[in-house]
Formats: sequence, structure tokens, C-alpha cells
Amino acid sequence: MKAARSETKPRAAVRRFRVRLPNILGVIGGVIVTTLIVVAIFAPWLAPYDPKERVARPFLPPGEGHVLGTNDVGQDLLSELIVGTRVSLMVGIVAATVALIIGAAIGVLAGYYPKRLGSVLMRGVDVVLILPFLPLLIVLAAYLGRSLLNTIVVIGVLIWAEPARIIRSQVLSLRSRQYVLAARSMGASDRWTIFRHVIPRTALLATGSFVRAISGAILLEASLSFLGLGDPIQKSWGSTLFWAQTRGAFLTPAWQWWVLPPGLLIMAASLGFALIAFALEERIDPRL
Amino acid sequence: MRTRFLVTRGALLLAALLFIGACGGDDEPEPEAPAEQATTTAPTTTAATANEMMDVPDEPDTPTTTQAPTTTAAAPPAEPVRIRAAVTGDEGTLNPYTYISGFPGWNLLMLQYDSLTQVDADGVPQPWLASEVTTNADLTEYTVALVEGVTWHDGQPLTAHDVKFTADYFINNAAASRFARDLAGVTEVVVVDDLTATFVLEATNPGFNLVALADVPIIPQHIWESVTDPEGHQFEGGTNIGSGPFRMTDYDEGQAYRFAANPDYFRGPPGVDELVVVVFADDAGAQAAIRTGEVDVIFERIPPEQIDLLDAQDPLDVLLGPEFTTQMINYDASIRPFDDVAVRKAIDLAMNRQDIVDTVFLGAATVGSPGWIHPGHSSYNPAIVPVHDPAAANALLDEAGYLDTDGNGVREYDGGQPMSFEIITNAPDSLRLRIAELTVEMLSEIGIQTSVSSVETATWENAVWPGFDVSQGRNYNIAMWGWSAPVQANPLRLPSLIQSTGFLNLTGFANAEIDELSDRLAVETDAAEREAILGRMQEIIADQLPFVLLAYPDGAYVYDSDVYSDWEFIAGQGIVSKLSLLPPSARP
Amino acid sequence: MTRKFDRRRLAQYGVVVLVAVTLNFLLPRLMPGNPLALIAGVDVGLLTTEQRAEIIADTGLDNPLWRQYVDYWGAIFTGDFGFSYRSGRPIVEMIRDRLPWTLLITGSSLAISALAGVVIGAFSAWRRGRPEDLGLLTGMISLESLPSFWLGMLLISLFSVQWGILPSFGAVTPASDLVGWEHLKDIIGHAVLPVATLTILSTPGVYLTMRYSMLETLGEDYIRTARAKGAGGRRVLFGHVARNAIAPVITVLAIRLGFAFGGTVIVEQVFSYPGLGRLVFEAVSGRDYPVMQAAFLVFTAAVLIANLVADLLYPWVDPRTRTS
Repeated sequence: MKAARSETKPRAAVRRFRVRLPNILGVIGGVIVTTLIVVAIFAPWLAPYDPKERVARPFLPPGEGHVLGTNDVGQDLLSELIVGTRVSLMVGIVAATVALIIGAAIGVLAGYYPKRLGSVLMRGVDVVLILPFLPLLIVLAAYLGRSLLNTIVVIGVLIWAEPARIIRSQVLSLRSRQYVLAARSMGASDRWTIFRHVIPRTALLATGSFVRAISGAILLEASLSFLGLGDPIQKSWGSTLFWAQTRGAFLTPAWQWWVLPPGLLIMAASLGFALIAFALEERIDPRL
Repeated sequence: MRTRFLVTRGALLLAALLFIGACGGDDEPEPEAPAEQATTTAPTTTAATANEMMDVPDEPDTPTTTQAPTTTAAAPPAEPVRIRAAVTGDEGTLNPYTYISGFPGWNLLMLQYDSLTQVDADGVPQPWLASEVTTNADLTEYTVALVEGVTWHDGQPLTAHDVKFTADYFINNAAASRFARDLAGVTEVVVVDDLTATFVLEATNPGFNLVALADVPIIPQHIWESVTDPEGHQFEGGTNIGSGPFRMTDYDEGQAYRFAANPDYFRGPPGVDELVVVVFADDAGAQAAIRTGEVDVIFERIPPEQIDLLDAQDPLDVLLGPEFTTQMINYDASIRPFDDVAVRKAIDLAMNRQDIVDTVFLGAATVGSPGWIHPGHSSYNPAIVPVHDPAAANALLDEAGYLDTDGNGVREYDGGQPMSFEIITNAPDSLRLRIAELTVEMLSEIGIQTSVSSVETATWENAVWPGFDVSQGRNYNIAMWGWSAPVQANPLRLPSLIQSTGFLNLTGFANAEIDELSDRLAVETDAAEREAILGRMQEIIADQLPFVLLAYPDGAYVYDSDVYSDWEFIAGQGIVSKLSLLPPSARP
Repeated sequence: MTRKFDRRRLAQYGVVVLVAVTLNFLLPRLMPGNPLALIAGVDVGLLTTEQRAEIIADTGLDNPLWRQYVDYWGAIFTGDFGFSYRSGRPIVEMIRDRLPWTLLITGSSLAISALAGVVIGAFSAWRRGRPEDLGLLTGMISLESLPSFWLGMLLISLFSVQWGILPSFGAVTPASDLVGWEHLKDIIGHAVLPVATLTILSTPGVYLTMRYSMLETLGEDYIRTARAKGAGGRRVLFGHVARNAIAPVITVLAIRLGFAFGGTVIVEQVFSYPGLGRLVFEAVSGRDYPVMQAAFLVFTAAVLIANLVADLLYPWVDPRTRTS
């Protein structure tokens, strides 16, 4: 499921070729993401009903009072999606943060000390990438218990390897720059060099991979729900799809109001963040 | 068209009424074509002997003929009937040692093999390979007289030696065979002559007829006597030789099974010439395939919301009936506060079973009896009815001293601990998950706070039933649980659920009277007395609540009526059996 | 690069293999629950303590963990992974049955998405900043954001249920006795939807890689000069640049092919496709330890080999790294 994204993908956008394209896409992405975040923040006021309340007959098609109809126990689907925005975005953002923290720490260390520590750490990354992910998930869930927080941790743990690789290669190239070499030859401590020279120059790249990780995490949350390994009780886009799937909505006319909207929302959110990431990456030349 | 299945036995009256009420509620009464209904209505042969015929408005006048004029006209009898059935999950090589699930694995196994007796549409064992079963007075000897002229698929005769061999083989190769458990207590099988054998038991066993004779497949001595490793043995061509109406001709692991009819079957040739069983990854796939016409029947219960939708599509029909599977709340009755019967009673009173049936099952379930046994079951004690009364539950808890002293809406127990618990359930079962959610709502009305934790199935089983061994204890407070139909179909299994030493007693329940009644039930030779004991046990269960039974989901099976429509619904157990595939005249 | 480096690199791979194999062994055993239900069948609750012990002993599960671990290594070297708890079949046989199906759908989808991704990516880069680039880029990023099960189910719903033009499940029509050309047609028909799903999801990755790489190549001085002069005709130049830009794409594809052996659990699940992914999912749900171990091993080995090949291949296909 988690295919290795290439570490060889050239991130270098050539500055001279820069036109308005990234900006346009970045703006589109920004608008999508801002809208979703606003919806998430004001969800309880925007939602016409409490999505946990059974307010009408189950399996109602769209009609008066219920724009998207009701789900299998009579909860309002529109409200479910609006409130689900919160959980989905939160899972995405927090999981990506977890991934970024682990990934950045390992990436910086592995890049700064490429010999011993670096190769040990990167082999660790290799191992994580090839671990069978289903049992890993079940084992983690078993020892952490099942909750939203743990879903987040699990996703974070699964997706940190890619940011680690990207950041490492950036640090690796920074390491041989004049100012870093100069700082080190003047006896600056590694710690000082890392915080003063390396981390600031990695930040933008890290932001790009962070935003990309968010869209990955949102998708992963939905897939986990589909396999019954998420938390179907939490209202999220993924869990709405889980219920649509287990209650047969894909094969009935209900797919138009029960399946399509959450899928499109997942796509929109993922797209929004990916576009921002794209715009950021276009601005970065790793050979700063 | 909606095909309504009605069990015409008087005992099933209540279940049937509930069921009809439930499904009549949401759709307008559409006129139904009597001729077509007749094709799928259970033959009423046993109804004649049943105490009363009931008159239910929706019930079609059932002609005893089960042939629909429309279908017979379209399909001349010479044309071979080929059915493609969907199951979810592979069932191994389907011999008595390798089949996997109790349903539909055992049911598919028994298409190839026969048992000495065979349950009929009412779930009552009838003569089958054995034309007669006689017992001695204290029920320690069961003598079976075999039907003459039965042959195995390879043409060899089936004799009393095979019967003895079967029992000996299962007992000697006990580890991985459930049939060894059925036969526990058999000291020996005596071959009287070629067609007569006597099972000699250690002790009185009134349930032997249903537990063993109707369950154990008779296997051929000439094939199995050389098999030393029954689980790993690779049979020639991968096929299994039995005496049943079908023989497996092909098995493609994870994809499909293929069965050919046995034209020399001792009850007459089957009504279906070829059966292909297709293995799906999940039920959504199976439901898509029956819509597209890629399969003709689903050998699994379809979920409630699909019943009307699939039924509305031509030529699909849905066969409905009561089933003995259960949805229930388990709690660890050996720990605080669930060791207090007042708490258990309050939980029982708080549950609005009708709401669960209507909301989660859209009416396609029977309201759970607090006494465990299905209202449609012959051993049901009609004095026991569920009560929904949150006010009484609150009063009960107040009286027992579980008060909400800090005013946060949650009661406390044992010096201030909040009555706040986790309900554990298994995620793939979405209906059970919804029941859990409703349970949270209902318990909050009586000041018990709960949250649902849905986990993967093996994790859930391991918490509720660690190592599948009750002596290893329990790792849960409250859990949603359910037993498969066979656990209830045979009421003599009841003690195992509630006896303090019962091997299915997952809630740590203990009650002296139950233990005593259980011991008596096991050795009681008088059928009426056994029923009386069962009646009393249900009263105790409803009063002491070792668990809270919420609902019995109804069986609903979808099939293509253009392909085949003689399906037989065995009360409580569904349509997947050899009865469905034999011509009605050959059924018991 | 020195030979010494290669040897160290190899040693590192060795360590990764060791750790991965060990984890493949440990993970199944760390999962809660046990395979008893799978081995003993439905009436597992009726087992007596002795019977329970006998079953456990039969499978070697009562051996100390280190002993089981040693046996696992033995299995790896002899290639005999024993029998599945579920089906009782030899595991090697099961994997041999399943692997071709997985390779069929993942292989064809990789091939298609490689072709489509490279062509569209090169085109997009060539037209950088124009509306068509913008459209393709947004479109591709959107496709990458689709949940795979959602896409698969919708395809079934449309192509199989609504229009009835493609089969909805499986790899072949069960028990159809088709032979020759008809059989092949049947296999292709069944593969269309899973392959389409996988292709739609994997093309954007190739596309983005190709686009980036192409842009980078286009930025090189000699190309810019040549382009400005209109040297060699646009068509020739386009071909030349695309050839130079393709190296990272090949690496990406090599790595993806490695992952392809692990099957695609979700797509195989949605289409009831009899591949390795579904086998693993079933094994995990039932705690079929031997099947899990063997399947994970195939998975690990494929990924490692793919990585190794990608490592070795890279200097060959990309002239720039050879000098750096």
C-alpha cells in the first residue's frame, strides 16, 4: 500500500523556468484547504444536525431537511460529512506532524553524520519500508488500544520514512557547503551547526514533504477504515465510506449521495494539500 | 416480488407474526402472484402433523405442489440445472478434517456426505441413512438400521462397517475433528449385521440423536483406513468420496468449487445437476455479482438493507425466515459491578430491543428473548418476554446504591468509581457495531457511560474468549457477542453456556440452581421432563441474566428464480443444505 | 566507487535482510489471538485441554520461540514452508498459484502507467506553464488523491452492475471450461477493471517523476542553447531530452515492481481477485502464521532485490551520476 516514493525524484525545479504555474496551482490548493479548515473549525455551527443523533428514518434519499439523505441508522449524512471534516483533517495534519518529527530527526541526523549513524538509520528506514504493513498495524493497534489518537500514531509511524529520505539528501548536500564546512573548521559544535545552518535551510523542503504527508495520511485513514482497521465510530470521511461500503450503498442509487461526496471530499483535501506541496517544492532548489 | 417464507408450525407463530409485522411496515402491500410464491414456499408436509395451521393475512395459500407453472413451462425437465453460488471465504478441501467454518463450511461438506439422520425443514431429525433409530430404555444404546442399497460415489456399498469405522476413526484421530466431540461418550460401536449397528454410550445421552447422528458424516472405510494424517492427506485428484447427492469434481483454492450431481443418490437424483461455489473476498463482491447475474444464489445471509433492493430486481427473489444466530451483550459477571444482578437487570431493562430490530435490522430480525431461546424454537418458554423500562432500571440502580453523587450524569460504584466502561466489538461486523452504538445510547439513559471500541476480529475473540478456553479467563468488561445457529438449534447445548463449568460460559456466570438443572438435563431420559427443565432454565436466565440477548437476525437469502427456486429453508438454519438441492419428493 | 564500498553496501543489505526476516517472524506472533480456531475449526470451544495441547504440539507452536525461529530459517534455506493452517495445502504451492495473478495485474498496470506517465509527463514538461500543462498536472494530482477502494467499487458499480459489460470479480469465470483464445479473452476481461484501477492510481507518480526530471534536463545549459537555436528540429530535440530524463523514472519503476509482489491488498479484496494480497489478508485475519511468514518473505525479498537493482541500474541509465 505504501509504495516507496522515489528518493531519486529530482526535486530541483529550475529557477529560470519558473512561471506563474506553481503560483496558480498553489492558490487553488490554498483556497481548497482554507475552505476545508474553515468548515472544520465551524463544523458544529454549520452542520444542520448533530451527526451522532438519529434524526430520521434510515436510508432516506436526499429530500427536504436532509440534503444528502440519511445513513443506515438515520443520521444526517451532510452533517456527518461536515463534522467528519474535522476528524479527517485532524488525522491528516497530526499524523503528518508525527511523521515529520520522526522523519526530520532521523533525516537530519542521518544526513549530518552519514558514515556510521547515517547508514544505520537509513537501513532502519529500509526495514520500515519493507515491513508487512497489515500485521504491523494490528500489532500496533493491539498494544496501543483502539482510538483516534492511535490511528493517528499508526499512520504517522507508517509514513515517516519518506520525509526522512528527502530531508536526509538535503542535509547531505548542505553538509558539504562552504559555510557549514567553515563553521565546523572553526570549532563550532555539531549542535550549533545543525540548529544554526542546517535546520533553517531544510525547513522549506520539510514543509513541502509535510504537506504532501497530510494528503497521504488522509488517504490512508480512509483505506484503514475500509479494511475495518480504523475507528468506524468516529465521524470521518473514511468512516462514512466504511458504512456506505458495508451497508451496500456502492451498489444502489445511494452511491450518488453517500459514496460520491465523501470520496470527492477526500480527493479535494488531498488535492488541496498536494497542490500546496507542489507549489512549495517548485520554489525550492535543494542546492540552496 | 417478495417471497415470504412462513413456517407453519404452531411453535413458530410468534416469530412469524413479528416478522410479517416488521416487513409489512415499510412497504405498501403489493399484490403477489400466488403461482410464483408456491415455488419457494416450504412444503407443508409437516404442517399436517403440526398442531395448528395458522392463518396469517400475508401467507399465500400454499398448494402442496412445489412446481411453479411458469418455471416448469420455460424449462423442460431434460435441461441440466446449473447453479452458481457465492460464499465469502475459502473452505479448504471440504473433507471432514479440512473444512473450515461451521457455516457454510459444514453445510457444503454435507452435500458430499450423509449423516445417519437428517434434520427436516423444522430442524427435527428424520430417518436418512438410517431408516430407523431405536434406543434402549435408559438411552445408553442407539441402534441404527441402514437403508438398503446405498453406495459410495465409487460404487462400493455403504454398510454398518463403515458406520463403525467412522466412529472409531473420528475418535482415534480426535484432535482436529469436531466430530470426535460429537461422539465423545461412545464406548464402542457394535456391528450387528451388514445393515445394523449399535452405538454403546458411557452414560444416558438424550441429545445423541441430534448432536451426533444428524451431524456426523459417515465416511468410507475403504478410502480412509489407509489415511494416517487426515489433515494433511492429499486425496487423489483432490476429490472426496462420500455417499451424498454431490461429489466435488474441482477445487481452485480461493476461487471456486465445482460439484457434480450423484445420479445414483439413494434418495433419487438431485434436482440440480451441477453446483459451482464461487469464493468471494467479501459480501459486497457477492452482492455485486448476483446483481450482474454472475452468480445465482448467495450462500450467506444478506444484510437487511439489501432485502428489498435485491427482491425488487427481476429475476431475483429473497427467501426469509427465522434463524437461531444471536446478537447479545456479554459482560464479565465475575467482576464488579457486573457480579451484582441488579446491574445486569438494569442493563436488560434499559435495552430497547424493538428499536434495535427496527433501526439496525430494518425489521428483519426477531426481538431477543431474555431467556436465550428463540420464540420460534420448540423449547421456547412463552412466559418469558422482554421488557423495556429505563425508569424501572434507574429505580433498580438507585435502590442498589449506585448513585450519581457528583451530578455528572454517570453513576458511581464501590466508593466513587464512575460506571464507565468500554464496549468491545469486532469491526468487520457492521450491524453489531451499530447495535453497540445504540447500546451506548440506551445505557446512557440509566447513568452508565460506555464507549465503543471496535477491533479486528481475532483481537476481539482473544479478549472475550482468550485462547478459546474459558479457563483462561476474560479480558473485557462489556462486549458485543453472538453465537452461531447450532449453539441454539440444539437446546441441550444450553448448559454449556451458563453452567459454571460450561465450556462456552464466556461471562463467568455461576448459579447453583442452573448447575443442578444442567446435571439433571444431561441424564434425563423423559422428553417432556427435559422440556420442563429447559423452561425453568430460561426463567432463571431471564431473571439472573448471564448475558443480555438482544436479537435474532432473520435469515435472508437471495437467489435467481429463473435458474432454480426449490430452496428449502430449514427453520433456524437457512437454505444451505442438501434438502434445497434434492427434488421435494426426496426431502425428509 | 571502490570495491570496498560495494562490499560494505552488501553487508548493510545483509543486516536489513536479517532484521526484516526476524520481524517477519515476530510480528505474526505479537498479534493478539492465535491460529487455534483456524486449525481446530468451528468447535474450537469444545476442545478439552489435552486436545488443545495436542493441536498446539502438532504444529510446533509449543516449541520455545528460539526453536521456532531456527525452524523458520531452516524453512527459508530449504524452501519448505510447510502447510497452511487454513487450507492444509503446501504453502509453496499456494504462493505459486497466487503470484502469477498478482504479477499479471500489477505488471500490466505498471507497464501501462509507465508508458502513459512518461509520454504525458514529457509532454507536460515540454508545454510547461501552458494551460495543457496546468490541466494535466491538476488532473494527475487529483487522480493520485482517489481512495483505491472507492475507485474500484465505483468501477464495478458502473461497468459491471449498471452496464454489464465487464465481470465484477475473480480472475476467470469459475468452472467455465474455456480453452485457448476464449480462455485468454476471459482472463483479460477479468483483469480489465483491477488493472484500470491500479493504472489510474499509479500513473500520476510516474507522470510527476517524469515531468520533474524532464524539466531538470530542459534546464541544462546545452539543451537551452540548442532549444533557443531551434537546432535539430523540435521533434528530435524532444526525443533527445526525454531519453535523458527517463533515468529516475526507471528507478521508480524498479522499486514499484518490487512492491508489486506484495500484492495490492485493497484492489484484490474489492475485486475478489485471487492474488497474493488477498492471501496475505486472509492469513493475517486467521493468524495463519506459516502463510504469513512465507508471503512476507517473498515480499521482503522482492523489495530488496528491486532496491538493489535500482541501485545498480542508476549509474548505468543516468550518465550524470556516474561522474558525481
